Amino acid sequence: MIDWAAFIVVAAVSIGSAAVLVAIFALGLRLLAIAETHRGVRVVAVTCFVVAAAGALYGVYLVIPSLQLA
Amino acid sequence: MGLTFIVVLVIVLAVFFDFTNGFHDTANAMATPIATGALRPKVAVAVAAVLNLAGAFLSTTVASTISGGIIHEGPGGVDITPAMIFAGLIGAVIWNLVTWLRGLPSSSSHALFGGLIGAALVGAGLGSVDFGVVLSKVIIPAVLAPLVAGLAGFIATRLAYRITRRPVEKNHRAGFRVGQIFTSSLVALAHGTNDAQKTMGVITLALIAGGFLPTGSAPPVWVIIVCACAIAAGTYSGGWRIIQTLGGGLTDIKATQGFSAEAATAATVLASSHLGFALSTTQVASGSIIGAGLGRRGGAIQWATAGKIVIAWFITLPAAAAVGAVCEVIAGLGVEGLVIDATLGLVVILAIFLLSRRRPVEQSKALEVDVAMNSVMTRVERRAAEKKRGDEILATRRRLSDESSLFDYGPREEAT
Repeated sequence: MIDWAAFIVVAAVSIGSAAVLVAIFALGLRLLAIAETHRGVRVVAVTCFVVAAAGALYGVYLVIPSLQLA
Repeated sequence: MGLTFIVVLVIVLAVFFDFTNGFHDTANAMATPIATGALRPKVAVAVAAVLNLAGAFLSTTVASTISGGIIHEGPGGVDITPAMIFAGLIGAVIWNLVTWLRGLPSSSSHALFGGLIGAALVGAGLGSVDFGVVLSKVIIPAVLAPLVAGLAGFIATRLAYRITRRPVEKNHRAGFRVGQIFTSSLVALAHGTNDAQKTMGVITLALIAGGFLPTGSAPPVWVIIVCACAIAAGTYSGGWRIIQTLGGGLTDIKATQGFSAEAATAATVLASSHLGFALSTTQVASGSIIGAGLGRRGGAIQWATAGKIVIAWFITLPAAAAVGAVCEVIAGLGVEGLVIDATLGLVVILAIFLLSRRRPVEQSKALEVDVAMNSVMTRVERRAAEKKRGDEILATRRRLSDESSLFDYGPREEAT
């Protein structure tokens, strides 16, 4: 029948990764909003975007099977 | 002669199914960026088409069974004949077109499974279908997919709004529009790697069944190229009806929600395909959009539309199965039957096309105007603009119905 353990893993990973990715990107935007008045914040904001981009690239890696074989 | 003819019919129909699959699923990735104005409609469908094309070439690991275990295929089970595949494909194509005409996002793979199940039930009897697998691979995931994706979209949207909240100064939520382009592109790429494979599998298995390829061979290069191009062309042609439903019919999407929804869709689709619990992309995308709609304060869901979509999910399989079964009965007559099937299928496809012309939703332009108004202006500004536009139209009408002669009218315009 249905594999409930697999389902719970899928649900947890989906919800967790979506939340983390969105939170990091949102944090980047939030920091960017105060970057003009606070020194050094811009670097942190850009770091957030880079981390979010790395998450998306990991998604691309998962999508393309030939990358995983290599 | 008979077998070659059937295989050719199957290939043609499979390629057309791939095309319908493309335009049926454009909305999954591109409805939200179009709705929020992150990408212009034509650009969005072009990006999706290119990514689908690339995706189709990047992943060519084709399933070894057409139905993924729903039908007892191969040794010890039933032989799926090319005629059965043909009947199943007609069911899938017709159901895809019917749901498109109604603007309903429904799963193309479920339509394909449905068509094949119908054909197999008629062609090989009740024992040929494993209903346990139908339950665990189709029905239960259809319930769970929107729940998981909806929850992911809801939580992501809440977080995004909470983190970017600035009660006094200007927030930078417009930046989500940039992020949206990337999350949507990821969904489009995932779609290409997934869905083009199905058609490649169908064509390859038909070629094997017809004896044109040895058992267990990989899809020939021309099959890969044709399938990739068909799905890309379908995607580019843009199922505007479904884009409208997902982009505006369900809920009024803002950039923050669009980003969150598409991130949730990408996360859920990738997690489910890599952790072994396959979920339909279409159902996941609809679920995340509903979740994102609930996540914004003041966001309202059109539950009537959502209800229609859910009903469409649950009748997709039986409806496609019914069409597949009827086609298989007719196909039982032999080659004549297949010709009748093909003709009937063509008539239905043409009829749906003509119906769609009667009330065309070729609205990439209209969408663009709506979006521009929604995304740039606040509610008050929008009302003012609508009023202003109304006043202008009224003024023009008054001027044109002016008593003065047309010869006066031209020069006076130039003078002003």
